[in-house]
Amino acid sequence: MASLTRKARRREAYSMKLEIDSFSGYRIYPSKGKLFVRGDSKVFRFASSKNASLFLQRKNPRKIAWTVVYRKMHKKGITEEVAKKRSRKTVKHQRGIVGADLATIAARRNQTAAVRTQQRLAAITKAKTEKKEKEVKKAKPQRPVAASGPKVSKQQMKGGKAGR
Amino acid sequence: MIGLKSTLNCIDNSGALIVECVNILKNKVTNGWGSVGDEIVVVVQKARPVSAAAQASVNAVKVRRGDVRRAVIVRTRKLVRRPDGSYIRFDDNAAVLLNNKREMLGTRIGGIVSSDLRLKGWGKIVSLAPRVV
Repeated sequence: MASLTRKARRREAYSMKLEIDSFSGYRIYPSKGKLFVRGDSKVFRFASSKNASLFLQRKNPRKIAWTVVYRKMHKKGITEEVAKKRSRKTVKHQRGIVGADLATIAARRNQTAAVRTQQRLAAITKAKTEKKEKEVKKAKPQRPVAASGPKVSKQQMKGGKAGR
Repeated sequence: MIGLKSTLNCIDNSGALIVECVNILKNKVTNGWGSVGDEIVVVVQKARPVSAAAQASVNAVKVRRGDVRRAVIVRTRKLVRRPDGSYIRFDDNAAVLLNNKREMLGTRIGGIVSSDLRLKGWGKIVSLAPRVV
């Protein structure tokens, strides 16, 4: 159902370009209405001859009760919208970010202090033992460096007769 | 609705300011009334004064009072029906002067023109105009 309404909305948006009446604020559907271009090249659109006539009589749309401007000024028929706006609230929302999805974040948050210290201690001991092992390994290999392969003169490497 | 003796504003930089219609060309259908996009013959009634300094420049005045020229109507006070069924009208009648080859006499247009001109084969004028409605 939602897709249907969206489709309908899209159809309206693409196929029809609605204009707004410059006097009354009414919508002007395609192939309707009159365009009036004043001497200062301002463009006015009128949905009906009534609007055009009132405009040319220099009537003020703010003083004519059925126009959109008047109704907006006197807050006619907009009670629902106001109520809707008030009900809107900011909602705090949790979600995962890069490298840490929501589950891990929640787990971290729910940890107690004791668990955390335990983990820290464990990590420290682990690191210490690893360090010790490394030192033991380092102490063992003390072989002399560069004692492999027969010695070759540079001249030979560059290519004597054998190279040809 | 332009006919004999109608006066129109000239909105190009040819030098003419006000022109008077003396003939509508090849338009038997509308009983001799011209509308936007129609070619007419006009007499220049009022032109910008000719000065020696301006004569050498690009904006030289090309017409003087009493000249007979062709012109094309670009705005009318009378409602004109668009192909989509809507109507458009302007606050004044206006024209643009032409030479014998149906090209513009001026090089610029200083005012809004009707987009109906494009449909009638005056695309050049439409493209030169600062605003098209």
